[in-house]
Amino acid sequence: MTIPFGRIECSSPVEAAVLMDYWLATLSASAEDAVEQHLMTCDACGDRLREVIALAEGLRALARSGTLQVVISEQFRNHVAQEGLRVREYAPPRGGSVQCTVSADDDLLLARLAVDLTTTSRADLSWCDPAGVELQRMADIPIRADAGSVICQQSISWAKASPTSSMIARLLAVDDEGNERVLGEYTFHHTRTISGPPG
Amino acid sequence: MDIELRDADLASRIADGDREAEAEMCRRMGPRIRLYGLRHLRSSSAADDLVQHVLLKILEALRSARLRDADKLVHFVLGTCRMTVLDLRRTTQRQEELLATYGGDLSPAPLSPPKLDDRQLARCVQALRERERSVVVMSFYDDRTAAETARALGTSEANIRVIRHRALQQLRVCMGAVS
Repeated sequence: MTIPFGRIECSSPVEAAVLMDYWLATLSASAEDAVEQHLMTCDACGDRLREVIALAEGLRALARSGTLQVVISEQFRNHVAQEGLRVREYAPPRGGSVQCTVSADDDLLLARLAVDLTTTSRADLSWCDPAGVELQRMADIPIRADAGSVICQQSISWAKASPTSSMIARLLAVDDEGNERVLGEYTFHHTRTISGPPG
Repeated sequence: MDIELRDADLASRIADGDREAEAEMCRRMGPRIRLYGLRHLRSSSAADDLVQHVLLKILEALRSARLRDADKLVHFVLGTCRMTVLDLRRTTQRQEELLATYGGDLSPAPLSPPKLDDRQLARCVQALRERERSVVVMSFYDDRTAAETARALGTSEANIRVIRHRALQQLRVCMGAVS
C-alpha cells in the first residue's frame, strides 16, 4: 500500500487572528471546539497555528527580555517584580532630577513619572537631550486617569551600554487640535557603571 | 496507484489489522494531537506525553474495532485528548510501562516550529504604536487575558482585543507572514 504524503490546501482556513485567540485561550467554548475539530483534520491550518505559536513565543521572550521601550501599568510592574525579576526604578519628582545607573544583573529599568492625568485624554512622552531638543517621541501613550504616574520601561540593553549622560523626559497633554501642554518634566542623570565600550 | 486515504479510511484499515495504516495514523494524528497538547498543557514535554497517551488509546480502540463509525474518528480523537488532558492534570504519574510496551510507533518526530528572526521581531514590535506595544508586551509576558490587560490599562476588554488584533496583523505583515 502506498500512502501519499503532502499538505492539502485548506478550503476554509481559520483566520490567523482566531488562531491567536485560540492560542491565548480567549475563544468561547463553542468557537474553541470548532477550531479544534478543524485542526484535527487540517494540517495546513496546523502549520499556520505553529507559525502563530512561534510568533507568540517570540513575543513572550521579547516581553521578558526588558529590551523594549514601552509604557507599562502599575499592576504589570508589580507582577514582574513579584516574579523575581530585578527591577531598577527611578522616580524623579515632577520638575526635578535623579541620579541613576544600571548594573549588569538588572532585568528591567523603569522611569516612574509622577503626573496628574485626571483632565488628560491624550498624552505624549517626549525624550529630549539636556538642551531640551526632542530626540524621540512616544505618541499617544496608554494612560489611566487615576494612575497618578506614567511608568516607562527603557531598554535595559541600551541603558547598560549607554555612556554617562543626561536626558529629559517631558510629558505632554495633546488636545484634538494638536496643541500641547507640558504636564511634567523629569531629568535623568545617567552614570555608566558597567565597564566596556559604549554600545 | 496512489490513493489519498481519508482519516476514516485509515481507521477501517487498522481495524483490519493493517500495520502500515497504523503508522500512517500516528504520523498524521501525532502532530495534531501535539498542537492540542501545546495549547492546553503549555509544555512541549507534556504535549509529547499527550501524543503518546492518546495514540495508544486510539490504536487500541481501532485495533479492537471499538470505533464503530469511522467517520467519528475526529470526535473520538478530540474526546480522548480532552479526557487525557484532564487525567494528566490530575496526576503527574507517567505510564512508562505502557509506552515501553508499544515503543517508537507512538512517538512520531515532532514537527520543528518555524524559525523566527528575533531581531526583526524586536524591530517590528518597536515600530508598533505605543498602545499596541504596551498591549502586546502585557498580553504576551505571561499569556494575560484581555480582561486582565484591560483592567491594568483602564480600558475595555473589547478595546484590548481590537488593539491586539491590529498589532498582531501588523506584526505578521512586518515579519513577512502576510503580503
